Amino acid sequence: MWDQVKQALMQSTTRFLTRFASLLPGMVALILALLVSIVLAFILAYVVRRMLTRLRFAERLVQWGFSSRAESPTSGPAVLVSRAIAGLVILVGFLIGITAFDAEWTSQLARSALAYIPNFVAGSLVLLVGIVVARFLARSVLIGAVNMNLQYARVLSVGVKWLVIVLAGAMALEHLRIAPGIVQLAFGILFGGIVFALMLAVGLGSKDLVTKSLERDGKKQPSEAIEDPLRHL
Amino acid sequence: MEVDSIPQQAQETIEKIDNADLVVGILADLEPERVTMLCEDLQTLDGSTRIVVLQNDKGSSPTSTPSEAAAKGAFPFLVPWPLLRPDPAGAPVLSAFAAYQAVFAASEKLGARACCMVASKLENAAPRWICQLAQPMLQSNLDLVLPRYARRKLEGLLNSGVISPLTRCLYGKRIHNPLGPDLGASQRLFRKILGAERNGRAGGTHPLASLAPVALCDNMQVCEAHVGARSYPPTDLTNISSLITQVLGPIFLDMERNAICWQRTRGCVPVPAIGDPVFVSDDTATPDISRMVESFQLGNRDLQEIWSLVLPPATLFELRKLSRLPLEQFRMPDELWARIVYDFALAHRLRTISRDHLLKSMTPLYLAWVASYAQELSTVGEDAAEQRLERLSIAYESSKSYLVSRWRWPDRFNP
Repeated sequence: MWDQVKQALMQSTTRFLTRFASLLPGMVALILALLVSIVLAFILAYVVRRMLTRLRFAERLVQWGFSSRAESPTSGPAVLVSRAIAGLVILVGFLIGITAFDAEWTSQLARSALAYIPNFVAGSLVLLVGIVVARFLARSVLIGAVNMNLQYARVLSVGVKWLVIVLAGAMALEHLRIAPGIVQLAFGILFGGIVFALMLAVGLGSKDLVTKSLERDGKKQPSEAIEDPLRHL
Repeated sequence: MEVDSIPQQAQETIEKIDNADLVVGILADLEPERVTMLCEDLQTLDGSTRIVVLQNDKGSSPTSTPSEAAAKGAFPFLVPWPLLRPDPAGAPVLSAFAAYQAVFAASEKLGARACCMVASKLENAAPRWICQLAQPMLQSNLDLVLPRYARRKLEGLLNSGVISPLTRCLYGKRIHNPLGPDLGASQRLFRKILGAERNGRAGGTHPLASLAPVALCDNMQVCEAHVGARSYPPTDLTNISSLITQVLGPIFLDMERNAICWQRTRGCVPVPAIGDPVFVSDDTATPDISRMVESFQLGNRDLQEIWSLVLPPATLFELRKLSRLPLEQFRMPDELWARIVYDFALAHRLRTISRDHLLKSMTPLYLAWVASYAQELSTVGEDAAEQRLERLSIAYESSKSYLVSRWRWPDRFNP
């Protein structure tokens, strides 16, 4: 009996070692793929960071309304972008390394991840465009409201910005196919909530101001045109 | 503007006229009696001068055909022409620019030696003032005749605060109304403007805003004519930002286009003046500046993020100090205002932010200057106003080195 136990143990050890040995090339390939992708990522990150610094990327972002001085972290936008690109390269290297195992589940995982990339790119693009549009519209509303002497100009501007960002975020999440039902419901509640809050802030909260502004414009306008001696052009 | 864009009926009339020596475009909504007086004044010009008057009209036909008029020697010949079209965008200044372009195009088509624009209703008009605009070009080969209005102290504020001192400082000539709007241009000048427009030079030239800069940079002969007091339409304060955008946009574009010219200009000389000055009584009411100061204070509170992209920290600091002053002590120094205008011109060139946003965000600063200026002049006479404007122009000139430095090396002073 002890011979049978010994034989069973030897067979299972042999099977395990055989199986482990069959995984070794895959593991070595994975480690190699990771090392190569890390090296490539560092090189690419360095090149991208230098290029963006030469193109004055941070200043252009400020011009486009992406960030202000108060928001800039110690690591600037160029560093963030280069780190994101490096992370992406390392992720791709990891996926390539995993497919070297030649196991069905790893291949499936890699295939799904790679098939998801276009959705990720589209979602990121939608969010990016949404943020640019939100900043532009917020600035337009802010300047217009200030020129109309509206005291709640900043509230309006922030409200418009977040409305557009929430809309873009919901569209991006729909592209990413992340809990679409919940996202739709949450978006509806959030969007409606922001609109309702703006309505209350402008309509009720500043009711007196709006009333005074309208009364002043309504009553004084005809007389201002006659009495105001200023002529600009 | 191409000849093809001239209305069909007007084009047919022009072809029948064939040629003219002088084209006069009437953009102002003048009463028939005033138009008749203008035509009578024009008839006092040299008898052989063929004059065509394009009147902004909506559909009426001339009372006689061109050949009949020519046979009778009945120049000036009046042509109804829809110069000012209703602009769906609500931009009357842009509509006026298009009208100038239309008159220049018609003048070129007719081979005219000069063209004049009548865009204002004048009070206490100088006698035969239209002839003072036309004669220098027909007889003395001058290229540009600009008006010199008898102005009350609170009229033409955008011109007094920005356009005139800026033009004087950049191009070295003391011109009181670079943008007219009543003016005379020679064939050489309006052809140059139309040619630049057709060649599609960067940003395009503006038929009104580019006249003075083009004439001065090309060393053309420029003079001023005393024409009387202009009747200014009241301005809606809510539309000030649109006005600033439509007027200063082309001026800043011209600065960019003519940078080589104005960076070489040194000093400032007066231009010859024709006619006798006309004086008007100044019994304007004291303006209410509180709303303008409120607008500036609101802008200072909410637009800091935008202004910080355009103005250096020292200027922002001075603006914050200004916003805390009580109404009675509200004074914007001339040097501060001149530097603000220069900084905005530079930001317009560098496209620091959208140009439309940039110029609209300048509105509270302009209103601050107007409030300061109006408050200072509320208790003084007309002579003091002229001296005040002279001091402002000198401040622009003394700050020109600041403009040149920032223009050439924007990174060095980049806020």
